[in-house]
Amino acid sequence: MFIKNLILILITLFYINNTRAQDSLLTQELNEVIITATRTLRQLSSLPMPAQIISSKDIKSSNSLRLNDILNEQTGLITVPDFGGGEGIQVQGLDSQYTLILIDGVPLIGRSAGTLDITRIAVGNIKQIEIVKGASSSLYGSEALGGVINIITERPKNGFKGDVNYRIGSFNTTDFNNNINFKKNKLSIQTFFNHYRSNGYDLNTTDALNTVEPFSNYTLNSKFTYDFNEATHLLVAGKYFSQNQEYVASSSLAGESDVNEWNTHLKLRHRYSDKWSSYFEFYATRYKAKDFLNNLDGNRFSTSFFNQLLVRPETRATFTLNDNNSFIGGIGFNHETLNRTDFTESPEFNSPYVYLQYDGHITPKLNLIVGARLDSHNKYQSQFSPKVAARYELSDYLAIKGSVGYGFKAPDFRQLYFDFTNATVGYTVLGYNAVVTAIPKLNEQGQIANIIVPISEFNNELNPENSISINFGVDLNLPSGLKFSVNLFRNNIDDLIDTRVIANKTNGQNIFSYYNVNKVYTQGLEFNTSWKITQNLKISGGYQLLYAFDKNAIKAFENGEVYARLNSSSPSFRLKKEDYFGLYNRSRHMSNLKMFYSFEPLKMDTSLRGTYRSKYGLIDTNGNTFLDTYDNFVDGFVVIDFAINKTFLDNYQLGFGIDNLFDFKDSQNISNIAGRIIYGKLNIQF
Amino acid sequence: MKNFNLITLIVLVISFSSCSNDDDNTPTPLAIETNTITNLFAPQQGGIDPNTGQPLPVSGAFTKFDFNLGDETTSETDWDIAFRGSTIIVNGGVSFGATDEPDRSGEGGAYVAAGTLSDIETANPSLISQDSTEGYAIVTGSGNGWYTYNPANNTIAPTPGKILVFKTRDGRYAKVEILSYYKDAPTEITPEIAINDSRYYSFNYVYQPNEGELSFN
Repeated sequence: MFIKNLILILITLFYINNTRAQDSLLTQELNEVIITATRTLRQLSSLPMPAQIISSKDIKSSNSLRLNDILNEQTGLITVPDFGGGEGIQVQGLDSQYTLILIDGVPLIGRSAGTLDITRIAVGNIKQIEIVKGASSSLYGSEALGGVINIITERPKNGFKGDVNYRIGSFNTTDFNNNINFKKNKLSIQTFFNHYRSNGYDLNTTDALNTVEPFSNYTLNSKFTYDFNEATHLLVAGKYFSQNQEYVASSSLAGESDVNEWNTHLKLRHRYSDKWSSYFEFYATRYKAKDFLNNLDGNRFSTSFFNQLLVRPETRATFTLNDNNSFIGGIGFNHETLNRTDFTESPEFNSPYVYLQYDGHITPKLNLIVGARLDSHNKYQSQFSPKVAARYELSDYLAIKGSVGYGFKAPDFRQLYFDFTNATVGYTVLGYNAVVTAIPKLNEQGQIANIIVPISEFNNELNPENSISINFGVDLNLPSGLKFSVNLFRNNIDDLIDTRVIANKTNGQNIFSYYNVNKVYTQGLEFNTSWKITQNLKISGGYQLLYAFDKNAIKAFENGEVYARLNSSSPSFRLKKEDYFGLYNRSRHMSNLKMFYSFEPLKMDTSLRGTYRSKYGLIDTNGNTFLDTYDNFVDGFVVIDFAINKTFLDNYQLGFGIDNLFDFKDSQNISNIAGRIIYGKLNIQF
Repeated sequence: MKNFNLITLIVLVISFSSCSNDDDNTPTPLAIETNTITNLFAPQQGGIDPNTGQPLPVSGAFTKFDFNLGDETTSETDWDIAFRGSTIIVNGGVSFGATDEPDRSGEGGAYVAAGTLSDIETANPSLISQDSTEGYAIVTGSGNGWYTYNPANNTIAPTPGKILVFKTRDGRYAKVEILSYYKDAPTEITPEIAINDSRYYSFNYVYQPNEGELSFN
C-alpha cells in the first residue's frame, strides 16, 4: 500500500506540473451510449442502473490482450483463477458463475465447472465493454445475478480499412491481430483474426506441473451487414475459437487439452415507423472441450470431453409512444444440450421465455424503468424476474438512482446429471437428478457403507439459485470534468447450491451431491471518480468495500458454535461474531487508480494503472470450516502496470509496456499472476 | 505457551483407611483430577504410503491409557482408551475387526461434544456409545471425530471445539481435549515435523474418579 501511494503521489505531481505548462482546455465528455442495461441505446450518464463502459481507447492504451487483462483493472471486478489457467470474474462479491458474459448481446457458453473462462476472449476488435451491475434477469434470464458484461465488437466504418498488430513479451508470449473492414453503400464486411500463444509459466518449480502449461489459440470473427433500405438491416456474424494446451497431471501423466468453440449470430432489424421497430435474432453456439492423459509408455490413461450446444431464436420489438415513453418486449426460446463424460444421460434443456420493459420519463427529471421476464423450463420451476429502476435529477450536476431486481441461475447440467468417481482417490460426485438411479446401482455393487441422506429427499426439483439485488447510487458530474459516483449495493442470495455428503462408501470415501442450502448476502459500497483534467489527461480511481457473508455461518458464530485454536498445540476457544470474516476469496477492500495521458506533440500516449486488493482467505486453515480472523490469509497486494505508445507517420505505432512493474507474485496462493511481463508492440493501420 | 505441563495432582483430604468411624458410611468423594499428557506415542504400521498415496493395511499394537493411573499402561485389562495413529478406541463394546485391536473387557464408551474443555461441565451418559462392528465410538476420518486432515500440507490437527467425553472401563467419566498430534506439541507444524514427528499425542484431560459421578466440577 505504501509503495503504491508513493508512486501515485510522484506520478500525480509529475502530471500536475506537466499540465500546468499546457493550456488546459476543458472539454465536455463525449456522451457514451450503452445498450446492455435496457437493450435499447441509452446515454450512460442518464441510466438508473449502476453501469460502466470501457472504451476501445482505454483498452488500446493499456495494451490489453485478453478480456481478463482489462476487467481486472475495473472497480469492484476481480478475476479469480480456475484450474489450468482459466479465470472467471467476480462482480459485487458474487462468484463468476453468477455473471452473464455476452458478445454483442448473445451469451457465451462452456462453463464446465461453473466458471466461464474469460481468457478465451481476445480484445483486439472490441468497440467497448459494457458492464451492468446488479441482477438483470428481467432482461437476460439465467446467470444474470451479479450483473452482465457485454462485449461490443467494432462497428463497420466506411471504406477499406484495416490494421495489423503484433505484440511479443515475457514467457515467449506472442499475440497477432488483424482487422479488416470494408464498407460501401449498403454492404459491410469485417474480419478479425487473432493468434495468441505462450510458453506459460511456472510459479512452483518443485513439481512436474507448470502453473500454466504452454498453449496456443486462434480466434476468427467475421461480420457481414447489409442495409436493404433505410428501414431494414441485416447482420450475420460468426466466430470461431480454437485452443490447444499441454495438459500435465503428474510426472508420469501428460497429454493435451483442446477447446473448440463456434457461434453464429443472425440479426434482422426492421423499422416499421417512427414508433415501431422489430428485431429477429437467431443465435447458435457450440463449445467443445476434450482432453487426454497418457502414461509414460504412451498408453492412454484417461480422456474426457464436454460438448455443449445452445440454440436461441428470439424476436423483440420496440414501441416508442413518444419522446418520454417507450417499450421493449421479446419472446424467445433456449434449446441447450450437453454431452459429457461422467454424465448419467445426455440432457436437454428447453426454455421458452418472454419479457417486457417500460422506459419512461414520468417528469423531465424522473426516469423510471420497469421490466419483467418469465422463463419457463422443462427441468425446473418457472422463474419470474421483475426489476424496477429509477433515476431522479436533483440538479444539472447531481442525480440519485436506485434499482431493485430479481436474478436467478438455473441449476447447470453438472449439478443435475453428474456421475463421477475419482479414479485415484475413490470419492463419487452425483448430480441431484442422478442420485435416484445411481445410489441403488452403487448399493447393488456393494459400494455403499451407509446412506446419510435418504433418496426420498431427492424427489423434489433442485431450485434455481436466486437473488434480490438492491442498488442505490448518487452521481455527481461537475462541469470541470470531475465526476463522482457512489453506489451502495446488496445482494440477497437464496437456495445457493452446495455439495454435501449423502452416503459413505465401503472404500472409506464419500458420495457427494448437490443441494439448496446456503443463504448468503454480499453488500458494500462502490465509489468511482474520474477527472478529465485536460483533453489529454484523464485520471480515474475506484474503490469497493465488500462484506460477503453466509447467513448460516453468522448464526453459528452468534450461537457460539465456532471454535479456533491460537496455534497448532493450544486449546480451543470460542469465537465471537466479529471473528467471522465472510466468504472465501472476497477482499474487504479493492481499489484502483489509473492515469491516461496523451502527449500530442510527440504523438505519444501513456498509461499507468494500479490495482490493490486487500487480504482474503482461500480455505479454512484452522479446522472449524469457517473463514475467521484466526485463519491464514492471502496477503493484500498491489499490481502496477505501465504502457507507452508512440505513433509514427500517422499509421504506425510502436508500443512498450511493463505489466506488474514490481514483479509481484504469490506462488502459494495466486496462480493467475505470473510476475513481471515486459512487452513490445507494433501496430500498422491501413 | 498453552502447554500446561504442570500436573495438578490432587490431595486426598481424608483417606479411606483413616475412616475409623463406623457410623460414617458415606465415603468422602475423591477429588477431580486435571492433567496434561505429552508425547503419548501411538505408532502404527501401514496407512497411506507416502510414496504412492495408496492406503495400505494398518497394523501394530495400540498404545493404551489408564485414567486412574493417569498414564500409559501395558495392562491387557486395566485400560480405558487406546491410540494407534489417528484412531482412538475405548475399552467397551466389540472389536471393529481391525488388526491388532486389544480385547475389550470393560464397560467404556465415548462421545464427541462441542465446546471448550471447561464448557463441558457434566458427562451425558445417554450420548455414550461403544466401539462396534459398524465403527468406533470416536468416528474415524477427517472432520468426523477429533481431527481434521489437511491434504495440502499433509497434517492432522485437532478440530477446534471438539471435546472427547469418555466413560472408563469401570464406569467413571473423563473429558479430553487433544492438543497436538506431533512430538513435543510444536506451535507450528513444519513439513519436516509433518513427515517425521507425527502420532505423538498431547492432550488435556479432566477425570472424575468417583464411580457414576457425572460432574466435572
